[in-house]
Amino acid sequence: MSVKVLSPQEIRIYDEIENKVSQKGKNRAYEILQKIRGAKPQIDIERGLYFTQSFKETVGQPLNLRWAKALYHYAKNATVYIDENQLLVGRSGKPGRYGILYPELDGNIFKEAMVKLPTRENSPFDISDEDARTVIEEIAPFWVGKTFHENFAASLTKETTKLTYNSDKELTSRYIVNETASFRSSIQWVHDYEIVLEKGFKGIKEEALEKLSQLDEYSPIDYTEKRPFLEATIITCNAIILWANRHADLAEELAEKESDPIRKAELEKIAETCRYVPENPPRTFYEAMQSQWFTQMFSRVEQKTGTIISNGRMDQYLYPFYKKDIENGIITDDEVQELFECMWVAMAQFIDLYLSDTGGAFNEGYAHWEAVTIGGQTKEGLDATNELTYILLKSKREFPLNYPDLAARIHTRSPKRYLYEVAETIKAGEGFPKLINDEDVIPLLLSKGANFEEAYDYSVSGCAECRMPNRDTYTSPNAYINFAAALEMVVYNGHMLKYGDELLGLETGEFTEFKSFDELLDAFLKQQKNFLKHAFIQQREIIRLRAEHFASPLGSALHKLCREQYIDIHQPKIEGGIDLGYFEYMGFATVIDSLAAIKKTVFEDKVLTLAQIKEALEHNFHGYEAIRQLLLNSPSYGNDDPYTDEIGKLLDKEAQDFTRKYSKELGVHMDLRLVPFTSHVPFGKVVSATPNGRFANTPLSDGSSASQGADISGPTAVLLSNYATKNFNYNEHAGRLINVKLSPACVKGEEGTEKLVQFIETWRDLKLWHIQFNVLNTETMRAAQKNPEAYRNLLVRIAGYSAYFTELTKDLQDDLISRTEHEAV
Amino acid sequence: MSYVFNIQHYSLHDGPGIRTIVFLKGCPLRCRWCCNPESQKYGQEISYLENKCIGFSECGFCKNVLPDGAVKFPNDKAELDMDKCSECLECAKICPSKALKVEGQEYTVTQLIDIVERDSAFFSHGGGGLTVSGGEPLTHGDILIPLLKEAKKRRISTAIETCGYADYSVLFEAAEYLDTIMFDIKSVNAEKHKEFTGKSNDVILKNFEQLCSDYPDLPKKVRTPVIPGFNDTAEDIKNIAEFLKNRPNVNYELLAYHSYGKGKYKALGREYPMGDLKLDKVKFNELKKLTDILE
Repeated sequence: MSVKVLSPQEIRIYDEIENKVSQKGKNRAYEILQKIRGAKPQIDIERGLYFTQSFKETVGQPLNLRWAKALYHYAKNATVYIDENQLLVGRSGKPGRYGILYPELDGNIFKEAMVKLPTRENSPFDISDEDARTVIEEIAPFWVGKTFHENFAASLTKETTKLTYNSDKELTSRYIVNETASFRSSIQWVHDYEIVLEKGFKGIKEEALEKLSQLDEYSPIDYTEKRPFLEATIITCNAIILWANRHADLAEELAEKESDPIRKAELEKIAETCRYVPENPPRTFYEAMQSQWFTQMFSRVEQKTGTIISNGRMDQYLYPFYKKDIENGIITDDEVQELFECMWVAMAQFIDLYLSDTGGAFNEGYAHWEAVTIGGQTKEGLDATNELTYILLKSKREFPLNYPDLAARIHTRSPKRYLYEVAETIKAGEGFPKLINDEDVIPLLLSKGANFEEAYDYSVSGCAECRMPNRDTYTSPNAYINFAAALEMVVYNGHMLKYGDELLGLETGEFTEFKSFDELLDAFLKQQKNFLKHAFIQQREIIRLRAEHFASPLGSALHKLCREQYIDIHQPKIEGGIDLGYFEYMGFATVIDSLAAIKKTVFEDKVLTLAQIKEALEHNFHGYEAIRQLLLNSPSYGNDDPYTDEIGKLLDKEAQDFTRKYSKELGVHMDLRLVPFTSHVPFGKVVSATPNGRFANTPLSDGSSASQGADISGPTAVLLSNYATKNFNYNEHAGRLINVKLSPACVKGEEGTEKLVQFIETWRDLKLWHIQFNVLNTETMRAAQKNPEAYRNLLVRIAGYSAYFTELTKDLQDDLISRTEHEAV
Repeated sequence: MSYVFNIQHYSLHDGPGIRTIVFLKGCPLRCRWCCNPESQKYGQEISYLENKCIGFSECGFCKNVLPDGAVKFPNDKAELDMDKCSECLECAKICPSKALKVEGQEYTVTQLIDIVERDSAFFSHGGGGLTVSGGEPLTHGDILIPLLKEAKKRRISTAIETCGYADYSVLFEAAEYLDTIMFDIKSVNAEKHKEFTGKSNDVILKNFEQLCSDYPDLPKKVRTPVIPGFNDTAEDIKNIAEFLKNRPNVNYELLAYHSYGKGKYKALGREYPMGDLKLDKVKFNELKKLTDILE
C-alpha cells in the first residue's frame, strides 16, 4: 500500500507557499525568470510591420527573394535588446513574454483578433491601443485577399469546406476535418545547426557567391531559379550578420555606460561575441551557444513553423566546443549549465502566438516545443551520451522552467547511468524528459528510405516528431481529424446534433436498423474513410498553395538538398527528400470504447437495443444513467483487453491502408499519428454524447492514451494496449503519444527509481514511439484549482510538453485530474 | 473450487521487479486487521459499493431480483441487508454501475497463466514475475501447484505470499517451484495469535522451521504486520527476530498497519474489527531498528 509522498516540485511549491523559499537563487537565469513570471504576454508588432513594409516594395519579385529582403529590412530596422544580466542576446520582441505577427498566414483575421485576444480564455495576449491601430490600419489591409488562410479556404470544394469551416467571415474551425495550415507554414522542424557552427554564415555566403559567379547567364533555369535562390541566400546571410552586429553595437554602448565592472566585462564579451558569430565559425562553447541562438531566433522571425523551431541534438553538435574549452580550462560545468539556463529563460519569453481561437485552443498554456534532444546513438550507431547529456539533464532537474522541451532518446545500449538519471529527472516531477524510442523510430526512418547514418542521427522535433535535418523536407501542416464526429455521424446518419439538419457526412443508414456489429462497424469505417478523403483533398491544396505563399531562404540555406538543387524548402518536390507528413487521428479510444460498448451490450449481452442507446445519447444521458453505466462499464481500451484492442488495431490498419493507397498521389507521406497537443479538448466540445458513456462536449481521449479514467488495470496495461493496437507490418504511421501519470509513491526512493527504469526498459522493448510521465498527486491539482495564485508554478505534463497548471482552462484542468492516477499497490 | 478475487498488474512492492499478483479467495485465518476482507471466505459472495449506486430513481433493477426485504432505498441509493442474501449473484449481473459486484471469479490454470504471461515483457527487467497471494494460497493447492509449475515451465519467476497456516505437504510441493517466498509471522505468542487471528501459531512456526530445513537455499522474506494493541511492542518484535535468528536465507521486514481496507468491510456488510485504532509512526520506526539484528 502506498502512502502519499510529495514530488520535489510539490515540495518546492509548498515551501514557497509557506515562505520557506529555498536559497537556490544562485543563478542569473532564476532571477530573470522571477521578473517575467506571471505577466500576460504582449504582442510585438515589429516583425509583422517590417515584413509588410518590405513586401509592399517587392511585389512581382520571386518569393524567396522577397522573403530574404523582408528579413534584411527587419534586421536593419527592428529594435534590438540586451536583457539585464543575460549572457545570450537576441530577441524579436519587447522585454517580458511576447509573441510576434505573421500576417502572411492569417492577416485576414487580425482585426477581429486584436479585439478578442486580451480577454480570450485560452492563452490571452495584451497589445497597446497604438500597436493595435497599426495592425489594423497598416498591416492587415495589405494582406487582405493575399493570406494563405483565405486562398486555401477558397480552394476547397463545398463538400470539403463544410467539414472544415463554419460559414462565418473569420472561417472558424468546425473541428471535424480541421486544417492547421492557416496557423503555421510548416510542421515541426529542426535546422542543421552543425553547418552554422562549422562554416558560419560567412562560409555559407561565400559558397553562394562562388556558385553565383559560375551561373550560365543565358540559361533560363540558372537565371530564373538558381540566381534568385543564391541571391536570397546571400541577402539572408547578410541580414543575420547585420542583426548580430547591431547587438554588438548596443552591447558596446551599454558597456560604456555600465558602472558595475563585472557586468561591464560581460557586456564587452557580448559585444565581441556578436561581432564574431554567427558570421564566423565559433571558437568557444559560449560563441557556439550565441551562434545557435541567433540562428534559431532569426528562423522564428523568418517564419512560423509548427510549434517553433527545435534545437536538435545539443549534446552532440556542441560537444566538440565543450570538450575543447574544458581541456583548455576556459569554462567549467557550472558555467556551461548557466549558459544553457540563459538560453532556456530566453526561450520562455518567446511565445508561439496563435491569433485564431483554433490555434490558441490547440496549444493551451502558451505551448511551444523547441525540443532539445539528448542521448541516442551517433551517426555510426554507437551510444551517444556524453558529459553534456548529463549537464542538460541536471539543468532540467534544477531549473524550474518548462522550456525547452527535453527529449531523451532511448536505445537498447543506453547506459544504466543515463537511464537512472533520466528516471531521476522524471521523478523531479515536472514531466521532463519525454522519451523517444530509437528502437521504433530508426527502423521506421530506414523503411522510409533514409540511410543508417541519417536515421541514427535523427532529432526530436516539436512534440513527438523525428527529423533528419538534411534529408527530411518541410512538410505541409496536416489535418486533425475528429473521428469521434465520424462516430456521431453513424448514430445520426451523416448528421451531428450540434449542426442540426445539415448533412455533413455519409448517409450510412438508420442507426437503429443495424442488424449486426459488423454492419455497424462497416458504417463507421465508411465515415472514417470519407473524413480521410477530405483530409487528403485539403492536403493536396495545402501543398500546392504553400509553395505559392511561403519561402524560407534561411531554412533552405541550412539544408543540403536545397543548396544542391537551388530550391526553396517550401517547394513540393525536392529530389532525394523525404516528406514525412501526417494526419492526426483524434478520439482513438473514444471510438474504440464506443464501438466495443455497442458490440457488448447490444449484440452480445443483448441488454440494450440500438434504439435505447440512441435515445440516451440524444438526451445526453439525462434520465438515462443506467444505460450510461452499462456502456461505461463495458470493456475499454487501455486495459490490455483483446476485446477492445482488436477493434483499435483494425481502425489503425484501415487508416493506414488508405494512406498507403493515396499518399503517393500527393507525393508525400501522410502518416497516421496519435499526438493531439491539447486539441482533444476543443474537438470534444463539438461532439455530442458518445456510446462509451462520455457526456456531450467533454474532452475526447488523448493521443493513444485510454479514455479518461478508463485505464483501470495500471500503466503496464496501457503500454500493452498500445502495443496490441499497432500494425507493425505497416510503415504508414508516425508518432503515438502515451501519457502515464504516476503518484510520487510509485517512484519513491532508490527502489522507485529502479522500477521506473524497468518500466522504461520494457516500453523500449515494446517498440513504442513515445512516453512521458506526470508524477504528482491529483490532490495537488485540486488544491491548485482552488487557490491558483499559490500554485502558479505547478508544472504538469499535457501533451508533448509541460505547462503551468493554473494557466490552463478549467476544462483541461479537469481533464488532467480525471486521467487515472496510477497507484502502485 | 478455487476463486480468484483480483489480478493485480504493475505491483511494485511485493517481490523483485514489476510483478503480477493473482489473489486466491479463501483464508483459514481471520486477522482483525485484514485489509482484504473479500479474501477471507471460500467461494463467491456479493459486495456492494454505495457510492457507485445510481439510485432507485435512475435504476432500481436490483429490487427485481433480490429476495423480499433484502434491499431498501431510503435515500434513493440502495441499502442492503446482506443476511437476506440468497447468494444467487443475480443482482450483480444486472447492476449497470457495478455497485453490486461478485467477489471471486473462476479461472482455469491456463487462463490465469496466459493472463500473467501477457505481462512478461515487464518481467524481463529486474526479475519481476508472478506472485500468488490470497487469501491463503497454500489452502488452494489444487490450483496453486499447477499454476506455479506452469509458470516455471514458461520461465516466469514465482513468489507466494503466505500466512503459513496450511498443510506442510502443500508448502513443501509449492516450494519446489518457488523463487521467493513471502512468509508472514505475526507473533510467536500462541495465545495472542489465536485471539487476534482465530488460530494458534503452532502450525505456522513449525511449517517455517521445516521449510528452512528442507529448502535452505530458498530466499525467504519474513514479514510482520505491526498492529496496534497486538504486536506493536519491542518485546513482540524482538521475539520474532529471535525466532528467525540463524535461519538460512531469511530477510525480515516490518509492515505498518493501515486502515485502507475499512471501506471494503462496509461493502460486504460487515463491521470493521479494528475501529479507529492507529499505529504510532514514531513507535513503528523504533521497532524497525530492532529488525537490524538480522542484517
